[in-house]
Amino acid sequence: MIDDETLDRQLREAVPYINDHGFTARVIARLPGARREPQWLRAMIVVGLALLGAGMAYFLSGGGSLVRQGVVQMADFPIWLLLVFAFGCGLVVGAFAVIVAIRKTPEVRDLTRLDF
Amino acid sequence: MELTDADLVARVLADDDQHAFGELVRQHQSSVRGLLRQLTRTDLALADDLAQEAFLRAYKNIRNFRGEARFSTWLYRIAYNCFREDARRRKELVGVDEAQMQAEQDPQTVDPGLRHDLMHALSLLPLHERSAIVLCCQNGLSHDEAARVLDIPLGTVKTNVLRGREKLKRTLAAWGPN
Repeated sequence: MIDDETLDRQLREAVPYINDHGFTARVIARLPGARREPQWLRAMIVVGLALLGAGMAYFLSGGGSLVRQGVVQMADFPIWLLLVFAFGCGLVVGAFAVIVAIRKTPEVRDLTRLDF
Repeated sequence: MELTDADLVARVLADDDQHAFGELVRQHQSSVRGLLRQLTRTDLALADDLAQEAFLRAYKNIRNFRGEARFSTWLYRIAYNCFREDARRRKELVGVDEAQMQAEQDPQTVDPGLRHDLMHALSLLPLHERSAIVLCCQNGLSHDEAARVLDIPLGTVKTNVLRGREKLKRTLAAWGPN
């Protein structure tokens, strides 16, 4: 009679890897649509909140006096300092945009998992 | 960096990330389809249909996966339920029972190798023994995990594995040492 060890080995080895051959794509094609709010609603929420924040800041700062004072103070800054400030702001916004783009793009996000 | 099942499930839960779910399907399709091929006695088309159904159910119910068991165990359970429901439906529709299905197998096939004989012997086992053998001996599940997948007591799984193995050994006696 066949021994336990041989039986176990044969049972394990009798399971071949089944190639995908489009199986995953067929499953993905049948998935229900992602549950997300429509794009226009998301845009409206972001713009609405930005306007609300700007309005509150305007009234809380005494009708924009803080902004006026800030602009006057900035006018006294040396030009090189303004350039550094503008460059820094650009860097921060650019970095934020790159991070968001990577998070939203699966192909880029998963680059680290690609086999070459 | 290879993402774990838990990472991928978290992405599906957080963002409805279908790409992450696709990765889960890619990683588990072979074992799930293999399990169903064994359960359906190598009916490839039916096994793949059931596997698709199992993955779709997994996606719709992924919020119910609490991470207490391995993701693969949870998937096997869904796949096994799909198979059981389909078998029940077929039995009701056509009146085919396990014994008849067994008789429909091609018993004349001459397989030259031990592995082919083994697969044939495995397909002749009753469903409860075949399921236990496939899960524990082929897919590496513990008896406890198999009991969860099959929704039967742990002791029954152990008995089914033991009986199934004895039958396989008897069927394959000719391959033993002289």
